[in-house]
Amino acid sequence: MKNKINLYLIEYALKSIFRNKLKNSFIFFIFTLLIFFLSSVFFITNSIKTELNATVDSLPQITIQQLNGGRISNIESYKADNILAITGVQSVNARVWGYYYFANAGANFTIIGLDSFETQYKDLFTKLVQNHPIEDGMIIGEGVKNLIKDHYYDKYFNFIKNNGEIKKLDIIGVFNSELSFEANDIIVTTKENAYDILGIEEEKATDLVVSISNPEEIDTIKNKILTLFPDTRVITNNDLKVSYQNIFDYKSGIFLALFSIAIFTFFMIVFDKATGVTSNEKKEIGILKSLGWSIDDILKEKFYESFLLSFMAYLLGISLALFFVYILQAPLLKEIFMGYSNLKPEFVLPFTLDFQTLFLVFFLSVPVYVLSTIIPSWKIATLDAWEVIR
Amino acid sequence: MIEIKNITKTYKDTKALDTVNLKFNKGELIILQGASGSGKSTLLSLIAALHKPTEGEILVEDEPISKLTDKFAANYRLNNIGFIFQKYNLISNLTVRENILTPLIPQNLSATQVETRLQKVMQQFQIDHKENEEIQNLSGGEQQRVAIARAHINDPKIIIADEPTANLDLKLSTNFITILKELKSQNKTIIIATHDPLFFDLEFADKVIKMEHGKVIQCS
Repeated sequence: MKNKINLYLIEYALKSIFRNKLKNSFIFFIFTLLIFFLSSVFFITNSIKTELNATVDSLPQITIQQLNGGRISNIESYKADNILAITGVQSVNARVWGYYYFANAGANFTIIGLDSFETQYKDLFTKLVQNHPIEDGMIIGEGVKNLIKDHYYDKYFNFIKNNGEIKKLDIIGVFNSELSFEANDIIVTTKENAYDILGIEEEKATDLVVSISNPEEIDTIKNKILTLFPDTRVITNNDLKVSYQNIFDYKSGIFLALFSIAIFTFFMIVFDKATGVTSNEKKEIGILKSLGWSIDDILKEKFYESFLLSFMAYLLGISLALFFVYILQAPLLKEIFMGYSNLKPEFVLPFTLDFQTLFLVFFLSVPVYVLSTIIPSWKIATLDAWEVIR
Repeated sequence: MIEIKNITKTYKDTKALDTVNLKFNKGELIILQGASGSGKSTLLSLIAALHKPTEGEILVEDEPISKLTDKFAANYRLNNIGFIFQKYNLISNLTVRENILTPLIPQNLSATQVETRLQKVMQQFQIDHKENEEIQNLSGGEQQRVAIARAHINDPKIIIADEPTANLDLKLSTNFITILKELKSQNKTIIIATHDPLFFDLEFADKVIKMEHGKVIQCS
């Protein structure tokens, strides 16, 4: 009785792989390397995109900055009241934030001044403020904590103010945000502390953030604000999304060069394989035909052989990429996409398993290799078997 | 059993076979003699349905086999033909067992059927003690027995041997003739293309056919 799957054929294919050890080991190695490389990049890209999307979602709908002589400066807080009077505006808040350069580590921290009653920050910060009263000190991101710990700041940190004086703030909490890309370098403290450390005058703010009841009206309200205060820059969250995307696309462009090299190498191998059926392989196909194998049987065997080889390489490549990206945190490759990361504290690539990516890598690799094996075998199998074996 | 009717085979401008008519009965041993290029091998390849004739027809058990598609030709070989080649044409790096099994693979038989057939032919041709040995580690005589066992595992009705003793010493050639006798006693139709004089006066040969320039010049 015939079984549906011919296990003898699969066994023969498996043995055939081991019979051509040298050639197949080389192909397996290159193939695994390519799949590892491709999927690593896709995994990193997906992780960063997830981070960016999460970041953009948490951004204010409208941000208003003061322009003086084309340069951004601090904005007068009273403008918030005039903007609040515009129909459709739900709330306006003056934000106090800025960068603090920690020279010893060569890194910038983002300092955010927060009042617990303010609503402009997303739930994350609201929860933080509820859990840790920040009047006495600051709450810091995981990255900041690790960085300052290396410089022996375990319980507090000494900020050097603009006038050279030292301001000491206790660490009262550490947040390990899901939004680590955004929150990793952040220090949250009171507005008073932020004014003091950043050297901002008290009647001013870094910027104003506006929330709108109906998101459809964002662009209309943007225009109204610009009419009211032509000396300001009004940025919507959509503008920021585009800006983030542009930065990311630029970094992806650098990678494109590497990607092209990988694809080129791959196709070189495919070409070599497609044109490089050895005389032993030809002879074997001839023998099999004379022994009663049909062209179908030969092609099936070649299919199993190439599929087993390439699928094993695919599985190994994907596993290595998962390990490299999510366990080792993609050393070297991550920096290609995160060009400014040396000024930012480290952040962890969040695990995102996208099946589309897995399928994409699969279809870019396995079927191409399978075809490159089957086509030359088919050519040989249709040749004169009698001549080949004699 | 095998009827060759007006067969002509042309390669480009060369006639490899020219209007050949032959008839072989079941259980006969037929020797094809002739110099290189006389058409012996071409005739074997046509009987094995590895080639199609330019003109004419071949009937095996009254069934035409000369115009079969690849799939049916393969099936015909699988069920009817056992090949023994000049250089054995065994697959290197496979074991004795794996080589003998090769013709059974497309049939996808049950493990029991495969094992039964395998053990039977290995014992019949006294190669069972080398079952898991790789081909390249065998002597010439052992390789010959593996090749014959492989040709025999499907219990074919026709055995085709193309210069089977060309690379063998006298002892191995004599052994081969003994095996042929045994196969003939099993009522197999055996067709041998050879230059070897050992076959010319073979007492159990039923027909000796001399060929020259693609034509049968003598059939005795």
